[in-house]
Amino acid sequence: MTILDVAKVVAGYGAAEEILKEASITVDAGEIVTIIGPNGAGKSTLLKLVAGLVPVRRGTVQFGGRDVTGLDALGRSATGISFVPQERNVFGTLTVADNLLISAYHDRAKAVSRRETMYERYPLLAEKRKALARTLSGGQRQILAMAMGLMSAPKMLLLDEPTAGLSPKAADALFDAITALNREGMPILMVEQHAVEALEISTRGYVLVTGRNAANGPGPALAADPEIRPLFLGG
Amino acid sequence: MLVNLAQNLLNGLMTGMLIAIPAIGFSAIYAVLRYPNFAIAAYATIGAFAGWWLNSTFGLGIVWIILIAFCVSGVVGVAAEQVTLARLRPAGVLTVAIASIALNLMLENAVRFLFGNDLRGFDLAIQPDWRILALRIGPQQVQNMLLSLAIMAAVFLFLRYSPFGKAMRAVADNSDLARLKGINPTRIAVATIFMGAGLAGVGGVLLGLDTSIDPMTGARILLSIFAAAVLGGLGSIPGAVVGALLIGMAEEVSLLAFPATYKTAIGFVAILLILTLRPRGLLGERAL
Repeated sequence: MTILDVAKVVAGYGAAEEILKEASITVDAGEIVTIIGPNGAGKSTLLKLVAGLVPVRRGTVQFGGRDVTGLDALGRSATGISFVPQERNVFGTLTVADNLLISAYHDRAKAVSRRETMYERYPLLAEKRKALARTLSGGQRQILAMAMGLMSAPKMLLLDEPTAGLSPKAADALFDAITALNREGMPILMVEQHAVEALEISTRGYVLVTGRNAANGPGPALAADPEIRPLFLGG
Repeated sequence: MLVNLAQNLLNGLMTGMLIAIPAIGFSAIYAVLRYPNFAIAAYATIGAFAGWWLNSTFGLGIVWIILIAFCVSGVVGVAAEQVTLARLRPAGVLTVAIASIALNLMLENAVRFLFGNDLRGFDLAIQPDWRILALRIGPQQVQNMLLSLAIMAAVFLFLRYSPFGKAMRAVADNSDLARLKGINPTRIAVATIFMGAGLAGVGGVLLGLDTSIDPMTGARILLSIFAAAVLGGLGSIPGAVVGALLIGMAEEVSLLAFPATYKTAIGFVAILLILTLRPRGLLGERAL
């Protein structure tokens, strides 16, 4: 069953600039889908478009069988789309505990019990609950950002380069956490620089080049494809 | 000499405690809306007059005066913000800051139009100063300090523990991320103006209790408020308190060496020094 259906979207930031030129992706229930491609291909823009942070100029976005093309970020999050930004994705001056609580601002009745669930799932957050988020290491911060994304009990998670800037060990731990989350049924759409590792844990992958679909297929197959590798392996 | 110094430090501490309340308001508005709102002086004056009017007309007690003055200044602050400054936000920080100076003059003159230029005093029993060791301190000043402490504690508890206070801190920290989490930054901004202007009004009442009030009451302490906020780190609430205490004490101690006319220069010197040596302020999160 298709959860997210992005069809031939055109979008950009400036008036004349088109970063996405009729890009299309779908995400089915239970999938991890990774978007890869060279710098400037529009990967992050596509993710932000799904989150409602970049307006759709042409094309449609359907989520859960409903047309959400006209909704802004607040509206999209209300339908169950949760976007975890690449940078500045935690409130540095708030404690870990408050970061989690504030991420379920409109579901305050359930916020505390959901936070307990996050503490069980990610024990490091329980350990650091009283620490200010800005004191966390890069890997811990990404876990917190992901847990914050889950506090609204979303139907789908969007991750923008979750392992950017992490040590290989922390990146592996995060990929494990993403896989574990997906195994419980959470559909995930992500953009990743570490293309090979990301594709290997993905159900499917899309290759985006200059705002257009260049290829797609099962994740591990794409990772092994000799024609695809030069597109994203930096030369 | 040592007694003089101690007396001036004590006076400065009390002045600082009075400046701290509007300085918290100023810094809170800066933290969430990212511009210095100089109309805070008029909000202090309006609170002072509201408190004086309630006191002289109905003989209300201090707690009621403070609560109502908070609300009056808060409502005036939100109304003035929505009618004027909010519309100028797209034009940038500098435009809004300058407009807030104009707004300040307009509101100050509205007070002058309504109440005239006379000095007014709250209707309070005159009490002799207490003498502790060689130091003088008035019972009213002690009461003001206790009220100021109670208000600071209330603000601290609100920001630290209430969901709304946490949402305010989240917007101040990162308004884009707050929006992603379903927090409406516009609504938080309105609430912050209400709180900031309201605190300024309470500061005006405390000043009026300490001395007397006139339409210039707020304008006279504006520089001290601004200097306190910059010194502590714009946008930092504990910073505003620390800055206010330091400015208050520096102003009073300066009287030992310089004529009283130069007292206001302390604020300018503090701003100059802090911007040169430590632009993010003593407790600030980021550089200006």
